[in-house]
Amino acid sequence: MAITRIGNPALANVREPNFRNIIINGDMSQAQRATSVTGIGNGNAGYHTCDRWKLHEGGATAAEFTQSQSTDVPTGQGFAKSFKMDCTTADTSLAADEIMNIYQRFEGQNLQYLKKGTSNAESLTLSFWVKATKTGTYVTNLYDNDNNRAIGKTYTISSSDTWEKKTITFAADTSGVLGNDNASSLEVYFQLFAGSNQNTGSLQTSWGTYVAAQWASGQVNVADSTSNNWLITGVQLEVGTTASDFQFLPHDINKKRCERYYQNSFDVGNIPGTSTDNDDAELTTSWTDGNAPFPNPYRTEMRAPPSVILRPRGSTTTGQVNNGATNRSTSADQISNKGIGYLNVSSGTGGQFNAFTYELNSEL
Amino acid sequence: MNIETVEKIYDIYTNTFSVYKLTYANGIICNVPLNEENTDYQAIQEWAAIDGNNIIDPGA
Repeated sequence: MAITRIGNPALANVREPNFRNIIINGDMSQAQRATSVTGIGNGNAGYHTCDRWKLHEGGATAAEFTQSQSTDVPTGQGFAKSFKMDCTTADTSLAADEIMNIYQRFEGQNLQYLKKGTSNAESLTLSFWVKATKTGTYVTNLYDNDNNRAIGKTYTISSSDTWEKKTITFAADTSGVLGNDNASSLEVYFQLFAGSNQNTGSLQTSWGTYVAAQWASGQVNVADSTSNNWLITGVQLEVGTTASDFQFLPHDINKKRCERYYQNSFDVGNIPGTSTDNDDAELTTSWTDGNAPFPNPYRTEMRAPPSVILRPRGSTTTGQVNNGATNRSTSADQISNKGIGYLNVSSGTGGQFNAFTYELNSEL
Repeated sequence: MNIETVEKIYDIYTNTFSVYKLTYANGIICNVPLNEENTDYQAIQEWAAIDGNNIIDPGA
């Protein structure tokens, strides 16, 4: 039977997967960890709200933000959520080593069709909706983590606090093959501010070896006023030189893709570390030696063996489970990317219930 | 997040070192598998390489 390919004719020769958007959770609809976190600044690199979107900060910045999954979205585009950074403590005089950006990392095994590092390498186009209080020049980058190569492009916020769609094309890179594995190979960055160590001279607008001083050249300081907000949604990175409409995925598919990197037992809307809702917990029965099984397998196979956070049912204390109505110190052991061998319950009582919540983290 | 302490945990069935108990500066405790693909494992190796940082080993 003949198979007809449906899609962008310009991409007819590209072995593009059905998921044409390399970005995961580009519509910001998934936020398993939290929907709002205050005081994001020095020492807070990591994942806080919208799944897959990581904060990087360097230097001892005085700036602080509230990071949230917002319902402020561009009108009539089909989006329900956005990612928001709201400056709550300003830093008007950046030290040389200060920097903050939002970024996402991608596994190399998902990117082999880009043919990076070959004469047939593909161009990439990044499109997104952005709304910022501060007008001016902003920098976005691609970084090849396997080969320490980078490229940057700018976009301009011309109207304060107004949703604007931006489209940026990055040239193909015929140098630097991406690893065919589950490690971070390619990364996309959105800069928020950068001190002079990474914000001098001219931006590196062609692929080449990463140069720190040219990483964020020209970037405005989003942290220079507590009036400043920066919001983004509809982020899509795809093969080619034109941006197609944002590819919306069914909710369950989008969540499954996120769960490869992070998942938890909490009810939708309940926040790990805050919620004490008994409905968040899993229940298993102890073996005769007092140790306990984990409810295997994970909902979704994970990228790599995850880090595990356990809490007793109804409690925010970590490193414990509730064993027969007593909270006991517990470790997860024999951890794989599909499940956990057992829970080592200190002085656990056999034949008792074990009630606990969990978080599994296998992020890049 | 900043690392506060790291302790070796031994598999009670095999008596072999099998997982780390990682305590962050904010008090959150997690178990980290001995796998180089895990970013917390990578962070522990970097932390342990700094003079003055020691991994607690209670023994099997």
